[in-house]
Amino acid sequence: MEGLRLVTPDLVHLDMRADDRKGAIEELSRLLGEAHCLTDTVTFMRDVWARENLSTTGIGFGVAIPHAKSTAVLRPAVAFGRSVPGIEWDSLDGQPVHLAFLIAVPAEGAENAHLGILAALSRKLVHADFRRQLMEVRDKAEVSAALSGIGAGANDV
Amino acid sequence: MKKLIAVTSCPTGIAHTYMAAEALVEAARKADVSIKVETRGSIGVENELTAGDIAEAHAVILATDTQVPAERFAGKPVVRASVGEAIKDAGRLIEQALQEKGSAPKMDFVQQVQEEKSRRRAEVPGFYKHLMTGVSYMIPIVVAGGITIALSFVFGIYAFKQPGTLAAQLMTIGGSAAFGLMVPVLAGFIAFSIADRPGLAPGLIGGMLASLTGAGFLGGIIAGFLAGYVAKALNDRIQLPATLRGLKPVLIIPLLSTLIVGLLMVYVIGVPVKDIMDGLKNWLVGMNKGSSIVLGLILGAMMAFDMGGPVNKTAYTFAVGLLGSNVFGPMAAVMAAGMTPPLGLALATALAPKKFDVAEKEAGKAAAVLGISFITEGAIPFAAADPFRVIPSIMVGSAITGALSMAFGATLRAPHGGIFVMAIPNAVGHLGLYALAIAVGTVITASLISFLKPGIR
Repeated sequence: MEGLRLVTPDLVHLDMRADDRKGAIEELSRLLGEAHCLTDTVTFMRDVWARENLSTTGIGFGVAIPHAKSTAVLRPAVAFGRSVPGIEWDSLDGQPVHLAFLIAVPAEGAENAHLGILAALSRKLVHADFRRQLMEVRDKAEVSAALSGIGAGANDV
Repeated sequence: MKKLIAVTSCPTGIAHTYMAAEALVEAARKADVSIKVETRGSIGVENELTAGDIAEAHAVILATDTQVPAERFAGKPVVRASVGEAIKDAGRLIEQALQEKGSAPKMDFVQQVQEEKSRRRAEVPGFYKHLMTGVSYMIPIVVAGGITIALSFVFGIYAFKQPGTLAAQLMTIGGSAAFGLMVPVLAGFIAFSIADRPGLAPGLIGGMLASLTGAGFLGGIIAGFLAGYVAKALNDRIQLPATLRGLKPVLIIPLLSTLIVGLLMVYVIGVPVKDIMDGLKNWLVGMNKGSSIVLGLILGAMMAFDMGGPVNKTAYTFAVGLLGSNVFGPMAAVMAAGMTPPLGLALATALAPKKFDVAEKEAGKAAAVLGISFITEGAIPFAAADPFRVIPSIMVGSAITGALSMAFGATLRAPHGGIFVMAIPNAVGHLGLYALAIAVGTVITASLISFLKPGIR
């Protein structure tokens, strides 16, 4: 399903400043807020942390996928942040995170939209080549294009 | 090319389930084998393995950190691993699975029949699936009701006309209550299959109206589809503010869909369908011998054609529907014709033992039991192994049985039961000739198969 591009170039941050989970979620949430995807950044972050406190979203391989289905979200979007030095995330494998994806889905609408996006994203991220590509890109539009496929899951469910 | 199957599942059911699935697909592609991966994540089960997939698979990879149902893989070699291992080292798991000795599933015959049934159900197109869902919910009610009615005949065929007697009560249970529910349940569950829960209320009510207006099972089928699609459309289209959302499933959808379906049934559909049903009934009752034999031939051949598949169920549903209109001949023909395929095959294994291997001879015994119980699916394993000889043979036998049953004027008031319902006095009209019709078809089927089948090398 083309057309629904979840990661637009203005939602990409190629050099995150944060070095811990809290800072990284703040930085990515701000991107979503500035891109008019959220009504309220504070509420959204609270919902992200509610999920984060259940179990870490640092899934290993230097990847974290924090996510929230929140009343503060206006439209489904994914913010992408990269940190070459790495972010402390309390990951499953104990390693720092280099690639972080913050998934935002409105509370209204498809029941499992965020899970669909998560599944599609996971299927891409398992490939080492794909992760390497994301580590090496220099251009925000390139990231947006590389991640264009993941919106399909959002409409399926 | 070898085929593998796999299941992935992780405790939180999000990322790793899909990463493991993707890693396995990728590794299988590199190893040039085909794989189908079922993911059991928090979205639910996706890409679910069918009985057919499992039967064809060389081995199973279970990359799971949670409990997943594994009984369905009975007899298959299984490679177990954690989700993490699958993500990191999918190639090794694929290799390990390929080295397992492939083995045929160790299933007994009856289980095989069951598997085949569920596989077929998964394959039929939407229209039939909805109809079959309705029919499958209706059948237990019809069977219970039909046999209860048949039991009342133990006291004499008209004993139920004496109020207060046990026969009369049995007739109330079977005839008024159970048969009264038949069409509503058919319609309700057709609608349920289409629209899920919202379909049930308008479907049941529409089916009841079909019953009340005399539109019978044909009207019930129409009401079911109508209710299903109306409820689904309303459910998809109507959007409400959050405060009123609770009213949607309990008030708005049921009321609107019931009004739409109900008014259409009463003012538009009921009368013409009743006319069709009356016409059909009159034609069936007034049919001359020749036409009734032709009807028996066709119904019989249909019963054997796909052994429990859509064509078979169409003939069966037609006959069951007519029970509600007090037409009992087609029911007799259909049951007889549904019994001869497994019976004929069972007889063939006894008549020509040299043409069947040991496993088939064992299967023949089971087929005999399924045959006397009117479970036509008992013929499937034979037909699957040798369709071009078996299917024409059983169709000829069943068609002749159906025609004979009609020609003898045999009637059957219960919709199921096989040989056991024949034991109930008065349930079957012209019992002796009816048994003869079944015997003739069985012998013809067995002879044709014994003649056509080559000896085993």
